[in-house]
Amino acid sequence: MALQALLVEDSKTQAAQIKAILESVGLHVQVVHDGPDGLQAAVQQQPALVVLDVKLPSMDGYQVCRRLKRNPATKDIPVIMLTDKTGPKSTMSGLRAGADDYIPKDVFASEHLVATLRDLGLLDR
Amino acid sequence: MTLPNNPFSMIPPVMTVRVEESLDIMIVRDTARRAAGLVGFSPAERAQLSSAAATLAELILKTGDPHVIRMNGTTDGRRRGLQISLQTPWLAGHSANNVLLALRNKMGELVDEIQLTAEEEPTIIMIMWLREDSNTRATQINPNIS
Repeated sequence: MALQALLVEDSKTQAAQIKAILESVGLHVQVVHDGPDGLQAAVQQQPALVVLDVKLPSMDGYQVCRRLKRNPATKDIPVIMLTDKTGPKSTMSGLRAGADDYIPKDVFASEHLVATLRDLGLLDR
Repeated sequence: MTLPNNPFSMIPPVMTVRVEESLDIMIVRDTARRAAGLVGFSPAERAQLSSAAATLAELILKTGDPHVIRMNGTTDGRRRGLQISLQTPWLAGHSANNVLLALRNKMGELVDEIQLTAEEEPTIIMIMWLREDSNTRATQINPNIS
């Protein structure tokens, strides 16, 4: 049975692209478009992975990540932040929020994402 | 074994990446992540180290010349960690203090130590030390790392 990933991404275009990457490695993907929906879906669906954008309406990705990691029901779910906010300081903000990885949305994002999935043990090596 | 100009001893793993085009940044990120995993760092620490290494790779691209980033395990006798280093001949003649200030401002949060050797061929050395709560994986992956 395919592992389930929860993708929280407000841009429908980018959500479709990221969903395609995740599905290409065998994950089943549920997409939501804002933080509160992401928090609710994470609790209800207990996905194997959350992929989280930073710039989200109403609640940014850092807040969503902190809440996921504070909630006993979701704290053990790996969180990958995938964002166009790049640079060392943004990276540290994401990791301090509890993210397991912080990946820039650049032309190599798909390679980084797949490498991280493998690194987290979510794919066969 | 000790690298020239380096007060710490080198231990496995040892990996190098030649950086000359933007594609190499991805390779640097991936290599740093794998090296950090072999030393035993947690996923978040691996992300920190891969970001630090990628920032060095971006610095190389700005010089317009190819250079090699080295990643290796390191130990000071008490702790072990991962060292990322880069020879920076273009910094020769610059104030080491000013360069270090800039590097620490940009990357100081990503690693535990940033040094700049003040030799003919200045070398940036960045180190993150393994914390006790993240080192169990190293012995599982590579029992030769002691």
